[in-house]
Amino acid sequence: MSLNKFSKLFEELDSNNSINKKINSLTKYFKSSSNLNNILTIYLLIGKRNKRFISGKSLREYYADIYKMPIWLIETCYSKVGDSAEVISLLLQDNLLKKDIKEDISLDQLLNKILPNLSKLEEPKKKSQIKLLWEKTTNDNQLIFNKILTGSFRIGVSKGLVTKAISNMVGIDESIILHRLMGDFDPIEETYIFLINEKLEQKELTYKPYPFQLANTFDEKIKETTSINQYQFESKWDGIRSQIIKRSNNISIWTRGEELVNKTFPELIKLISDFKNDFVLDGEILIWDEIKNCPKEFSLLQKRLGRKSPSAKIQKDLPVVFIAYDILEMNGNDIRSKVLSERRNILEEKFYNPISEDQNNNSRKIKITKLLKIKNWEELEEAKNSARNIKTEGLVIKNKNSKYLPGRKKGNWWKYKVDPMQLDGVLIYAKPGSGKRADLYTDYSFAIWEENKLVKFANAYSGLNNEEIKELDKWIRKNTLEKYGPVRSVKPELVFEISFDNIQISKRHKSGIALRFPRITRWRKDKNIKDADSLENAKRMIRN
Amino acid sequence: MINSKQNLITQKSHGLYCQPANTWIDPYKPVEKAIITHAHSDHFTNGCREYICSIETGFLLRKRFGNNLNLKTIDYDKEFIINGINFSLHPSGHILGSSQIKIKAGSEIWLITSDLKRQKDKTCKSYEKLKTDFLICESTFGLPIFNWESTNKVIDSITKWVTQSEDYTSILFCYSLGKAQRLLSELNSQNFKNIYVHKSIEKMNGIYKSLGIELAETKVYDMNLVINNPKNSLLLLPPSLNNKNFLKKFKMVQTGFASGWMSIRALKKRSGFDKGFIISDHADWNGLIKTIKESKAERVFLNHGDGESLANFLRDKEALNIKQLKEVK
Ligand SMILES: [Zn+2]
Repeated sequence: MSLNKFSKLFEELDSNNSINKKINSLTKYFKSSSNLNNILTIYLLIGKRNKRFISGKSLREYYADIYKMPIWLIETCYSKVGDSAEVISLLLQDNLLKKDIKEDISLDQLLNKILPNLSKLEEPKKKSQIKLLWEKTTNDNQLIFNKILTGSFRIGVSKGLVTKAISNMVGIDESIILHRLMGDFDPIEETYIFLINEKLEQKELTYKPYPFQLANTFDEKIKETTSINQYQFESKWDGIRSQIIKRSNNISIWTRGEELVNKTFPELIKLISDFKNDFVLDGEILIWDEIKNCPKEFSLLQKRLGRKSPSAKIQKDLPVVFIAYDILEMNGNDIRSKVLSERRNILEEKFYNPISEDQNNNSRKIKITKLLKIKNWEELEEAKNSARNIKTEGLVIKNKNSKYLPGRKKGNWWKYKVDPMQLDGVLIYAKPGSGKRADLYTDYSFAIWEENKLVKFANAYSGLNNEEIKELDKWIRKNTLEKYGPVRSVKPELVFEISFDNIQISKRHKSGIALRFPRITRWRKDKNIKDADSLENAKRMIRN
Repeated sequence: MINSKQNLITQKSHGLYCQPANTWIDPYKPVEKAIITHAHSDHFTNGCREYICSIETGFLLRKRFGNNLNLKTIDYDKEFIINGINFSLHPSGHILGSSQIKIKAGSEIWLITSDLKRQKDKTCKSYEKLKTDFLICESTFGLPIFNWESTNKVIDSITKWVTQSEDYTSILFCYSLGKAQRLLSELNSQNFKNIYVHKSIEKMNGIYKSLGIELAETKVYDMNLVINNPKNSLLLLPPSLNNKNFLKKFKMVQTGFASGWMSIRALKKRSGFDKGFIISDHADWNGLIKTIKESKAERVFLNHGDGESLANFLRDKEALNIKQLKEVK
């Protein structure tokens, strides 16, 4: 019923790698606490849009101010630890600060009263309130308390684990619990009762999207072990994965990140409301080039996403479409257990006819994805290689006999992405990572040649293995030229192969180009910095 | 760098050096004459012509590195003279036999703390407070995030960790010399039925016991033997065994690591330990500040670890003449 108890749970989850142990801890906890406490716990653990009462940076500044510690020293600690709440909790363990007014509080009190009130306070009251709260909190609870303050829960308690624990406890299939956890999440008692209800049909579900099915990376073995006839082939759209839900007058668009985006796409909402039938569609939102009849760059979509309630002009300049590739519900019936070929039939039957008053195909805002005609594996290869011409990321290969299941079920959906584009860049800056990697230099910046000058063109922090990371970390420390805060500039000496999915013109970047998903694919120890690529080369890769 | 010409102690490529005595302290490479502060392997190098150390360190060094070392052992607090320079060894509280080195030439005093700890430890003599003109102090944990809890609290949590997972084999990784024995002396009161230790730990235990230090009863863990009934038992093993291949042998296993570094959760996660126990044989942030202040030194040099922050902090706050030595290794 309390912060003490939650803190103990956290400690148990944090200090066990065994999934079974974690599930046991969670189950025990849920069984012995109140509904309200449980739903607040779930809210904190799965990190669903957790409120941030104070930013990590302000928290560090408050500490510096209250306990008269130089901020540079706290920032040094932060760069070692990688998490503000953790730094503060470690600093607060200082024996010299100990006061004897520790008390326990309920999560309800804390989340629904004390902290909301705190964030309303003005300075200097806010500061003195934080000091008071810090002093009241026991050493053992300090980490949890500060994590709640900063809204930062990432302790490897995924939604999946919470789902498993509840599923175990109530004896209901995980996929159903997962469905109940989708969409809006109000951390109140009723939500918990809904979550653990043994009755399968509940009216609350009508407001929720289904858990999304995801694709695995294509396994070349498939070519040898299965027949090509059992698959259907679709383009892999580079948009925002979403579900469109129409259940009588209840219309919603949910993204895969479980964001409700009705307000962002009013033109889609209007279109959907004109349909007579009810349905749930799974697909992708894209910005559409009506002249070329293909998607526009992802960056434009990001721009569009940034506008809540977009003006008519924006709707016209950045026109969106929804490309459906699956149907999960038809007129109130959950059809996810029908096999894909049947669902595809329904989709085509209901949506192939012109579905808007506008007969011009190109400007139709709700489309269904075309199936690609691929008769053998060579054709698959060709289709992948030409995917970029039609502005897609590659293909998705789907088993026609598969049901629609939550998560990445092996063998149902495969993604077959185009080969990444690559450039060889020179390492010029390094920064410590965060979280697990906080004391190693793991975030890198790379440069390419512009005439005889190196210009930064990419940041990348993934792609090396642990040994390489350690080796590089050592090298960075030895070859530092200058330090700017946590960032070190290093001798331009090492060359890395940087892969990325796309490259675009960008005014915001000094190099004039922006990469999508840059990552390190190889440490080119065989290459000298003179062998690195040039900006000219990079710009040649940009296709219009 | 400590300015070479006029100082009694200088920092050179082989480590800290006292030129007028032609004597090195914990050199990295073989030299003529070396004073060894303690028996941890990062403070010892093979092949020196002569070693000088405390009596306890002598026992440990012989056991670890061979009987034919040319060792001269000296009691704590007893002065000895090399080339007219006065030396003496004093407890540093780090591990059994660990010594600070006091060096006197004329009226000038230097103190090299080497690794030190300010917490109580039943397996070694407590840190001795000494005044000095020049201090060379360690700074392994020189950041304010390092605050040690009482040993009792850590031991309690180890006991709970083992007893609350009675179906699991509990493996606690720790350094074979010093930490292992400190844990065993503390665990003596906790009524464990079965404590197994790696043979490298058992080897060191022998010296401790022969010097009258009480340790919990242990059995040697045979690496080839799979323990069938791990219930409520604890295995102490060196951290080098924390690898998948070795851990595969155990069906149900939980691992922990006893070290000051476990303060940082990211380090624990990266090494894959289930649990970190924060217990260190070094001084924490406040321990270091206390040590530096109590020494009343007019100049302070920090050695090992990230001393830059501690140096900057004390220079600003206490107007101390303090700086970090660059690692020369
Ligand atoms: Zn040591």
